[in-house]
Amino acid sequence: MPRPFWRHSSRWGPAALLVGLLLAAWEAFARLTAAPAWLLPAPSAIARAGVAAAPLLAGHVWRTLIEALLGLALAVVTGVGLAVLIDLSAVLKRALYPLLVVSQTVPTIALAPLLMVWFGFGLLPKVLVVALVCFFPVAMSMAQGLEATDPDLNALLASMGASRSQIFRKARFPGALPAAFGGLRIAATYSVIGAVIAEWVGASKGLGIFMIRASNSFLTARLFAAIALASVLSLVLFGAVLLLERLALPWYFAARRQERWEDIR
Amino acid sequence: MKASSRWLSLAVAGAAALTALALSACVGGQRQKVTLMLDWVPNTNHTGIYVALDKGWYREQGIDLEIIQPAESGVEQVVGSGQAHFGISFAEWLTSARAQGVPIVSIAAIIQHNSSGFASPAEKGLTRPRDFEGKRYGGSGLDIERAMLQALMACDGADAGKIEFVDTGYADFFVVTQRDVDFAWIYYGWTGIEAQVRGLPINVVWLRDYLECVPDYYTPVIISGEQLIAEKPGLVRRFMAATARGYDFAIQQPDEAATILGKYAEADPELIRRSQAWLSTRYREDGPPRWGYQEADVWARFIKWMADNGLVAEGVDPNKAFTNDFLP
Repeated sequence: MPRPFWRHSSRWGPAALLVGLLLAAWEAFARLTAAPAWLLPAPSAIARAGVAAAPLLAGHVWRTLIEALLGLALAVVTGVGLAVLIDLSAVLKRALYPLLVVSQTVPTIALAPLLMVWFGFGLLPKVLVVALVCFFPVAMSMAQGLEATDPDLNALLASMGASRSQIFRKARFPGALPAAFGGLRIAATYSVIGAVIAEWVGASKGLGIFMIRASNSFLTARLFAAIALASVLSLVLFGAVLLLERLALPWYFAARRQERWEDIR
Repeated sequence: MKASSRWLSLAVAGAAALTALALSACVGGQRQKVTLMLDWVPNTNHTGIYVALDKGWYREQGIDLEIIQPAESGVEQVVGSGQAHFGISFAEWLTSARAQGVPIVSIAAIIQHNSSGFASPAEKGLTRPRDFEGKRYGGSGLDIERAMLQALMACDGADAGKIEFVDTGYADFFVVTQRDVDFAWIYYGWTGIEAQVRGLPINVVWLRDYLECVPDYYTPVIISGEQLIAEKPGLVRRFMAATARGYDFAIQQPDEAATILGKYAEADPELIRRSQAWLSTRYREDGPPRWGYQEADVWARFIKWMADNGLVAEGVDPNKAFTNDFLP
């Protein structure tokens, strides 16, 4: 039984209170110093600018969300695929692992303009940037999950005459999923940032291009509103992954609850 | 409000002053550290500054100049907030910034006339605004691009509504016009010359040829902040003395100026040399009293044009947007 919403208050309360206090301090500082709007807009001015720009923003948010989701999907496919390859053979692992790590040392911001030159200004280069940012945490955590399979379980299944592929499908793959979802959660929070960076380089729509236009028009409050929206979008994707995890791994959460219950007893 | 807004500026300035103090204590000299933020990569628009830097003319004026290059945009905000002393901007950007209250002022026009135009590979045959109908334009998606094209095409009895606008950001002209679009907005002094160097014939529809529809404007300009101008006019004057000397040198000796710029700019030396030869005749074109001079009429006409086309709200005062007071 999920707990009712209000029972969560003790968990979320401190964070909400801190955010509220910080916003209040910001508001007070902006008002007391009468900072010019182009330099430091107050949170209330940012909220107003966000509401005023809402009809404009909808299309941009939608575009960024699509890019982030497609990129994330591509990252999951490639990330899981690579993790399985690494798990399959020690040679492949030795060949691929260093490449994966090196891929993360390439600054995305330097790569984005190149992708644009190669693939134009459509959706593809943005999706690729998001996938490049996001596949690594998925691949790493999945590979780790596969590696961490209980050797006793392997031995047991083998002694019962299970084939290698059966062991993989019945025990190792599902066993790695909780770890993989951990990586996916990280990837989800990165995906929106990836999409925004890709849009900075050149796009017709999206939160990134909206931010640049706000900045180029010296509408700082509007820029902050777009930043806040990008954060919200990241949080929504993070929440969606949590939800997906619950739905996809009912056995895992049931077992966790059981353990907790046993702890209490 | 003005008085209390100073608190923030004071706090920021105080922090900056402490840092500057610490830094100058290390250096031990009496020269003042001054920051200039460019608009883009170093190019022939900036030659005078690099000449003055290279020849030590800023040092002679007691200025230790640091030149910073922006990634994307933000020069106007950085100069407006006092984080940089000077910057390179453009009349249209300065006007939008002032309309939103960013306190920046143009203190010199680097080139006397608008040297930009809408360019396309010659084989596309786009020689006048009317030809743009049904074509693809690649730009940054700024309102001013649409307004420029609308005014320009109306001038030639055509409709800018028939252009397909493609956002290509700041992608290379030669890449995008080969594949994604038919024409783009360029500065002839750099991209146009680059086409010559590469041997790629282009057509250019010059904004200068349609002044009755789009008034001339100063692009690029050197900007500074209202606060710096009010509080340290001497520093601004010394900075401009060295800068003007650099541009005067570039006007008289284009080849040597190009060689000096080549030490600082990561561009093809041949492009720099030929761009410099082209631009050196335009820094002081049509005999203004001195390099950098700005006419009140030019500013007034252009700001009115921007307001008439809905690019800025009414009420930007042209006379506060620029000053000739610091030219030597």
